[in-house]
Amino acid sequence: MLAAGTALLLAGPAALTGCTPSARAPVGPDPLESPARRAEADAALAQAVGQMAAQAHPALAATARALAEDRKTHATALRAELYRARPGPPTSRPRVPPPAAPVAGTADVAAARTALTQAARAAQEEAAGLVVTLPGYRAALLASVAACCACHLALLS
Amino acid sequence: MRRRHGDSPASRVPVAALQGALAAEHAAVWVYGLVGAFVPGTLNSRLNEAATAHQARRDATERILIDAGAQPVPPEPGYLTPEPVTDAASALRLAITAETDAAAAWRSVVESSPADADLRGTALEALTEAAVRATRWRVTAGVTPLTVPFPGAP
Repeated sequence: MLAAGTALLLAGPAALTGCTPSARAPVGPDPLESPARRAEADAALAQAVGQMAAQAHPALAATARALAEDRKTHATALRAELYRARPGPPTSRPRVPPPAAPVAGTADVAAARTALTQAARAAQEEAAGLVVTLPGYRAALLASVAACCACHLALLS
Repeated sequence: MRRRHGDSPASRVPVAALQGALAAEHAAVWVYGLVGAFVPGTLNSRLNEAATAHQARRDATERILIDAGAQPVPPEPGYLTPEPVTDAASALRLAITAETDAAAAWRSVVESSPADADLRGTALEALTEAAVRATRWRVTAGVTPLTVPFPGAP
């Protein structure tokens, strides 16, 4: 952090985190369920691209691996917040298969790049849309997810 | 002043977080003034773009604070850099630091503002732009990892 003569403090105010879990009975799916599933699917897609492109296109593979790591980290954090809000086993979590990765072996780098770009854009848009409505702690979490996905887009462009 | 204070209840405007964001923008403007002296001229347009973006954020944030009845924090008379800036590499690291600090400050605004489309949207945009600039400077500087999973997170 950059320091000023009189200490440039950028630390945010300690955030009182969002909701109290039991304040009201949750109705419907938690709004973080969708971004959590999307993060898991994106991680799987990016991992597949990373393996597929490793030989033919190391640069794209490196970006894909970075994307896979970040999205895995997003999924973990979102799942943790989901559990904090509603402890217990996830009820009837629909299994959404990850988007089909470009077929290994064809080394279709352009298609792989397009798939990752579309995934990153959709993830950024979904997270950004939630930032406006969610309580402070969750809004900040989703804001960072959206910003990270924007960075992925920048690397893919 | 465009609005009366009564139209914008101070309790709904996260003044402390906005002052932090303003301080970060002041610092970033200062940093880009310094960085330009150490990096190749081929980066000038990107530096100008970044400096202009931070100046615009600074000015807009001052207006929000004034509208909320707060006195915007002024720039510091001087800034201490985390390490001496002596060449292109250390200058780029300083640019990355400035963007990282700005991202953190704007994330705090997101977190502490009410679920308000205008202010949260502005803060998200500022956070996102800072994070993307940090990533682009990491690419330029060859610093890895190029991304962090939670830009602005403490």
